[in-house]
Amino acid sequence: MALTAFKAGEALTMGVELELQLVNWTDFDLSGSASDILHLLQAKKFPGEVKLEITESMIEVATDVHRHHEQLLEQLRRIRDQLVVASDRLNVAVCGGGTHPFQRWSERRISAKPRFLQLSSLYGYLAKQFTVFGQHVHIGCASADQSLYLLHALNRYLPHFIALSASSPFFQGVDTRFDSARLNSVFAFPLSGRAPLIFDWHEFEHDYFAKMEKTGVVKNMKDFYWDIRPQPEYGTIELRVCDTPLTVERAAALAAYLQALCRMLLQGDEAAPIEDDYLVYNYNRFQACRFGLDGVLVHPRNHQSLPLRDDIVATLRRVAPHARVLGSQAALDELQQAISSEGNHASFLRQQFDAAGSVQGMVAAAVTLFRKGRIRAR
Amino acid sequence: MIPETLQTLLIAVAWPLAIAVAWTVGELAYRLLSLPRISSYGIAGFLMAANQGGFLADPSGGPVTLLAHFAFALILFELGYRINLRWLRVNPWLGASGVLEALSTFLAVFALARAFSIAPVPALLLSALAMSTSPAAVLRVANEVGSSGQVTERALHLTAVNCVLSVLTFKAVVGYWLLASIDSAFGAIWNSLGEFVVSVAIGGLFGVAVPALLRQIGDVERHATAAFAVATLLLTALTHALAFSPMLAALAFGLVARHRRVILSKAQSNFGTLGDLLTVLLFVFVAASLDWRPAPTAIGMVLAIVLVRLTVKTAAVTLFARLSGTTWRKGALTGLAMTPMSVLVIVLLEPTRHLHLYALDQVTGLVAIALLLEVFGPLVSQRALIWAGETRHLDAP
Repeated sequence: MALTAFKAGEALTMGVELELQLVNWTDFDLSGSASDILHLLQAKKFPGEVKLEITESMIEVATDVHRHHEQLLEQLRRIRDQLVVASDRLNVAVCGGGTHPFQRWSERRISAKPRFLQLSSLYGYLAKQFTVFGQHVHIGCASADQSLYLLHALNRYLPHFIALSASSPFFQGVDTRFDSARLNSVFAFPLSGRAPLIFDWHEFEHDYFAKMEKTGVVKNMKDFYWDIRPQPEYGTIELRVCDTPLTVERAAALAAYLQALCRMLLQGDEAAPIEDDYLVYNYNRFQACRFGLDGVLVHPRNHQSLPLRDDIVATLRRVAPHARVLGSQAALDELQQAISSEGNHASFLRQQFDAAGSVQGMVAAAVTLFRKGRIRAR
Repeated sequence: MIPETLQTLLIAVAWPLAIAVAWTVGELAYRLLSLPRISSYGIAGFLMAANQGGFLADPSGGPVTLLAHFAFALILFELGYRINLRWLRVNPWLGASGVLEALSTFLAVFALARAFSIAPVPALLLSALAMSTSPAAVLRVANEVGSSGQVTERALHLTAVNCVLSVLTFKAVVGYWLLASIDSAFGAIWNSLGEFVVSVAIGGLFGVAVPALLRQIGDVERHATAAFAVATLLLTALTHALAFSPMLAALAFGLVARHRRVILSKAQSNFGTLGDLLTVLLFVFVAASLDWRPAPTAIGMVLAIVLVRLTVKTAAVTLFARLSGTTWRKGALTGLAMTPMSVLVIVLLEPTRHLHLYALDQVTGLVAIALLLEVFGPLVSQRALIWAGETRHLDAP
């Protein structure tokens, strides 16, 4: 089976997928309720797409394709509200967060779908340990080559998204001291990491994908767990490093930030990406996972150290004109707020842990925040 | 001389030995046959009882009784703790199906008992008891197979609803009977309504006080299990001594403590090892109190009642399944999961003894129903949870 033809479309459109946690109201452990919720949601018209994920305590929702942050946010809110109503009827709570802080992976139930069962038998405990929750952002591309260019041009900004979305400080009951412990689970998969540096789709398809396919290791793009990957059937690039934030507001803001950044990159303001950019890629990614906004990056070109926080602030300033054109200043304001005062959701969760004195209290706070949408009342 | 020493020895070690035997049988049967442990405890206890020619004397009134009450109270506390009152408010159809299944069970069993020409009052008592699902069986089975999902949650919530309704109805019948048989109307009202209200109030008081105390002590995570267990022990002894209902008090305690939000962690479900041990004792105790001898005479009625109760419960829960947001299938499985009865039966009858109300003797066949549902009820619950695909430790065959 060859690679699907790239369905090029309008550039800079965006769509969001969120993997959400289903927890019970008693001890806030994960609850295997995905098919029950799905059944209930199918009875009504759901404002988006909703589907099962690999374990029964995870549900994935997806928005339509949007041009503007405002519409994206509005749809995400409707999705959230309907999820809350449905889950309330079933005594289940829904929340964000990249990991469930104290679930035991050995206790998870694999969804009864052939693909999941097959993944489970191939990857063994990795599949269950993969009960982690990510946000995927799709950005539309005008051509296949454009998607490959964008994918690599974004390499140096990847830590921004990790740090801003990070919401998985706890894993298997302990504080990992990482802001995003979730990504450590993703890295365990053999086909995770970065895409090879190829800018020509024809070359990508015939010299890379076809060879990989021949080895029998992959069958389609879904088998690559890259940080950013092209999605030919949607005509998009898909950013996969974000933890699911605790609020849909943060999720929409991240998507709008990526959209504005892509617009800037497509205007060719920066030098084209080269292989040597990737020398510092894993290190920078680690810094963002480990320290969040307090990480320190190495600039891929001049090799200077720069605080991640400062780099984001500077980038937000640079993309501001593009955000104005796209109508997404509100999104950048939300991120600015996170950087300057609130911190990311990993720090919110740690504060809640300190306040409540238990991991259960922390999940309870995440559930409340998901419904309410904001840390502070406006 | 030697036989006499042996006999003394046997009496001295009777309960610990029975518990050891029941536990071993439970583990073996679970491993080899996937039989719910509590079913095995019941069978073992029943066979070891003196009534059946075994070495366990009828335990009623002894120190084992208090322990059994304590074990049962721990389970009721946990059930109360898992009940989310907000759910019943958000999803009123669920509450409605709970009321419907309890009431229709009451009516159906009453009609059937009358058809088998049981006198009105014992028939009423029997129907009131038949309303309830055994919280111990449902909770232990759910925990044993690690199930979570709609069938599990619904079965637990509906069990709490039907237990409360069952107690209320039972007390009302007792009140009515006392009113008819003795001339103190005040006593009758006090015994039914008063007992209910005061029991719930004492439990509720504990539910407020213990979490507050825990917050003062700090390190909630570490102390919560012990504190709740200690408080439940005290509550059981207190309500028992004052002749209120330890069961209702424990249920109210759990319910209020939950809504005061001191959160139990996952590892503490079942009250850990303490709960495991006391559960063996409880189920052996209950089964050992049963006397099979009068039962065979009523076997036709017993089977009819068991069957009708199961059918009515399942039908009633299934009827509201879609309205309350689940499938017909899961509705029916919820009804099936609520088959167990029994522990409640004995413990309910316990406090009425001091009222010189020998209800147990009045209700022919109750023992057989209790035993049947004691052993087979948990098995049906277990199967229902497996068929619903909600279990973790056992897969569908």
